[in-house]
Amino acid sequence: MMAKILVVDDSGMSRRTLRRILEPAGHQISEAEDGIAALEQYFIDKPDLVLLDLTMTGMYGIEVLSRLREMDSQARVIIASADIQSSTRSLVEEGGASAYINKPFAAEHVLDAVNRVLQGGAGGAD
Amino acid sequence: MELTDQQKDALSEVINIAFARTAASLSELTGHRVLLDVPKVAIFPIDQLGAALAEFLPAEVATVHQVFTGPVTGDALLLLNYDGAITLADLLTDEKGSKRLNTSSREVLTEVGNILLNACLGMFGNLLQVHVSFSVPRMHLETLDALLRSLVIGSEGLRYALVVYTAFRMRDGSVKGYLVIALSVASLDRLIQEAERYEERQWKTN
Repeated sequence: MMAKILVVDDSGMSRRTLRRILEPAGHQISEAEDGIAALEQYFIDKPDLVLLDLTMTGMYGIEVLSRLREMDSQARVIIASADIQSSTRSLVEEGGASAYINKPFAAEHVLDAVNRVLQGGAGGAD
Repeated sequence: MELTDQQKDALSEVINIAFARTAASLSELTGHRVLLDVPKVAIFPIDQLGAALAEFLPAEVATVHQVFTGPVTGDALLLLNYDGAITLADLLTDEKGSKRLNTSSREVLTEVGNILLNACLGMFGNLLQVHVSFSVPRMHLETLDALLRSLVIGSEGLRYALVVYTAFRMRDGSVKGYLVIALSVASLDRLIQEAERYEERQWKTN
């Protein structure tokens, strides 16, 4: 299932990695380096899915998640973070995240989470 | 400050697991085996922290620094020998045979530091059932003095710092580094309490 996916991360390395995983699977990727750019791009492009980092310069991912969900209550957001704490996972799930994947990224985990969320399932743990 | 043998054991177990998770993350990132030394724990007076860290810092190093806050608060540092930092960055980018750390390499290393420091402290958080928040990671290629000025534990009028550190190496030693966690002695109290509770949870479950 081809989808428009917005990757939000202040790390160019992470954005490149996700693009390299997702584009060969047929998805169309756009990128944002920070929360403000992400919100603007979401408003303009209406992507099918957002992959969102948590620790970013400026607006933190938790706030971006909250604002995305305010903008669009149906927004599908997968958190893609180095934070491996189960307490963080609970926090973002309460905030409306559809799934959670950890860095370093494993292609099969990324694709599995993306496919599950696009098909309307819960993302589950990485 | 004296720790009982049981407290030392519980703290050591938590630290070992956290640092092992960090090594696993580095190995996953690079595809190379990572060798880790046994972690050490020491308490230093704040005004001697510079001299203590200087042991880890030869002439040229690359450092990624992240502040963490929550029930335990302090500074987390990934320190790499300069040539090893170049090797590591080259492994993770399409560049080969670089001589200096350019903008792209620094960005990659900052993210590597973010992943490794989160792996370490996140594992602490999971094991001890406390939530830790992280600052945006910053990379330093400057002097030790400048790095020390940016450490949060030095800015709070504290007199002592607990330092947890380990050395690691990969690729036959061409990449060498240290993971350093510096926290206040007040945070040490909380850390010990939670490590003791962690141990109780282990034998109550098993």
